[in-house]
Amino acid sequence: MTEYTDKIKEIAKRVLTEGKVEMVIGFREGSVPMMNQPHYATSAESVDELVWDCNCGLNLANYITDKKGNIGIIAKGCDSRNIVTHVIENKIKRDQLYIIGVPCTGMIDHQKINAMFDQEILTVEESGDKITITGNGFSKTMSKQELLTENCAVCTHRNPIEYDELAGDLVEEQKDVDPYASVTKVESMSADEKWNYFEDLLSPCIRCYACRNACPLCYCPTCFVDESRPQWVGKSQDPTDVRTFHLLRAYHCAGRCTDCGACERVCPMGIKIREFTKKLNKDCLELYGWEAGLSLDERPPLDTFKTDDPDEFIK
Amino acid sequence: MKLIKIDQQSWAAGIEKVKSDYRVFGPVKEKNDHEFKLLEQNEMPDVNCQNTRLSPKSIIYPQSQVMFTYSLDESKDDCRIMKEVENVKSPMAIIGVRPCDALAFPIVRRNFDSPEYQDTYWIKAYEATTFVGLACNSACGTCFCTSAGTGPFGEEGLDVLMIADGDDLYAKSITAKGESFIQAAGWTTEAESAVDSKIDELKTAAESSINSSVATDKIKNKTILELYDAPFWEEEAFACINCGTCTYVCPTCWCFDVQDETHGKSGIRMRNWDSCMFPLFTHHASGHNPRNVKYERLRQRFMHKLKYYVDKYDNGIQCVGCGRCIRLCPVNIDIRKICYKMNSFDAESCVCEATSS
Amino acid sequence: MKNMLEHTGIEPGRLHFSWISSAESTKFVDVVTKITDEVKALDPANKKYVKTEPKVD
Repeated sequence: MTEYTDKIKEIAKRVLTEGKVEMVIGFREGSVPMMNQPHYATSAESVDELVWDCNCGLNLANYITDKKGNIGIIAKGCDSRNIVTHVIENKIKRDQLYIIGVPCTGMIDHQKINAMFDQEILTVEESGDKITITGNGFSKTMSKQELLTENCAVCTHRNPIEYDELAGDLVEEQKDVDPYASVTKVESMSADEKWNYFEDLLSPCIRCYACRNACPLCYCPTCFVDESRPQWVGKSQDPTDVRTFHLLRAYHCAGRCTDCGACERVCPMGIKIREFTKKLNKDCLELYGWEAGLSLDERPPLDTFKTDDPDEFIK
Repeated sequence: MKLIKIDQQSWAAGIEKVKSDYRVFGPVKEKNDHEFKLLEQNEMPDVNCQNTRLSPKSIIYPQSQVMFTYSLDESKDDCRIMKEVENVKSPMAIIGVRPCDALAFPIVRRNFDSPEYQDTYWIKAYEATTFVGLACNSACGTCFCTSAGTGPFGEEGLDVLMIADGDDLYAKSITAKGESFIQAAGWTTEAESAVDSKIDELKTAAESSINSSVATDKIKNKTILELYDAPFWEEEAFACINCGTCTYVCPTCWCFDVQDETHGKSGIRMRNWDSCMFPLFTHHASGHNPRNVKYERLRQRFMHKLKYYVDKYDNGIQCVGCGRCIRLCPVNIDIRKICYKMNSFDAESCVCEATSS
Repeated sequence: MKNMLEHTGIEPGRLHFSWISSAESTKFVDVVTKITDEVKALDPANKKYVKTEPKVD
């Protein structure tokens, strides 16, 4: 991954020096294994902090919402789709951005990897398609493919959709993956089983709202759970209120979600939050043939009306 | 204080025995991680747990807690009168509290049990609880308890400290409450005197396994405004998403929000944990928000823990070095780094020393 | 919306959509009667969707 990092630095230095952008948003190395931190460089000198590896799973489109000025941003496939969505939704203008596209081979799942070992992990190193995990008295090398986050493992848009320049050669897109396997599983359950499945899924939730806040789609000035006049939803740990939050948040992402996995990655309780959004993604694909963030010129299905929109549910 | 030896058999028997006198909580592995849970019959606390994902604070101070009930029925005499819910706590024991988490209780007590205010809900739960600690024989990379007022064998906040040596456990009662707990468990075998030196060895080894620290010595002598106006807050807050993870997993964060919920003609007044990371935390009724942007909220969290608390109580920092916020922050904001910046910040030259690696 | 609610465990038949003009009074009556019958046929004791007092510790 050092090639990517070097190329990113070279491009970032150039666009900053040329005055094309005022800042370049990327990642810097974190203080614990598998945790890179979103960061920005404003001068050619500060560019050296930027890195790129398999721990850049957060979605950087989250950091450009309503920003003024010209911005450089490093974007893997999903980030670029969220940038497209941002542009469509008027959260930023395309000509404010210099997009440094990064063809992506997937990000590793720090929660899964931490859970694999009883002891603390001290270093995680990436070399080609191998990951070496080392701790006190153990070291294990595994294939990166096995360690990918669930959304990366089923991703079919690894290459950036929209970019000004690439930091590496385009990669082959994954075929023969079923992004909706877990949705299909839930669909086959009875109503009670479904209810209990989601009850169990959400039981650890502490309502920290990390899922909402890491999501580039969640940019409302005041979220509905934070409204107090009227107060739409209770603030306690009551299961109905917790479920209301997750269900409504998912609806707000309908036709907009790119399955970047940021919500799941940031959850301190390890909740599989994508179980909600994935169902809506599947419906959007089946009903409207739509996947979010693939084109700057097409309006999303939920803000357009077409005479051939499916309407079997209306009696 | 004499040291009691507990072998595996009497450990299991003792835990079952105390369950008739106490509601016993302990770390239990659920899905991928350990949490403190009320132990059922024949359920044992997992002493091999390094530490739980969430701190044990919620046992004393639940995330959502009902304080009052009320009626809005005009035909009743007690209409619109807040009635305190029954607040009697039967004895509880928390087994396997790590010394860092134990120190958090006396820290939080300064807020909930002060000469000015006594929070009856917190105090009753706290007083009903016996804290049975478990010394750490080895630390995580994110542990920095030895520079946060305690250590892997720290006793502050505990009634009993247990030390694990292979399959054996040793228990040392620290308070009268602890003595009663050991008696209730029926643990009576005194350890041989040679064990003392063995425990000293374990303690030294544990302390030397901590390779992370924070320096806070210079923060106290800086003025609030110097630190408040320091230039590094915006940069450090860039990645922050303003979620409540750091505050909710923190054993020393105590802020709450009071909410009324009415159903028909009856209702409850409850409190829920709140977080200074949320914009709503300081949102005034007028619409004004004194901490309107995210770096102001991030600054508040660290200034409270490392400066305001220090100045107000003159008793160390409001952090016990458990490292949870470092491990669980979704965007890797590291209190050790912020602490370093605050401590080394020189307002006159307006620079922080370069961060040590 | 209907799909998602049903996906999370709300029984099919609790949510209905219909397009009725203000001139179609008989259709309105028919639809409402049909909906009430269908919802009544579902387990009436099933109160899990209705929050009363919050369930907290």
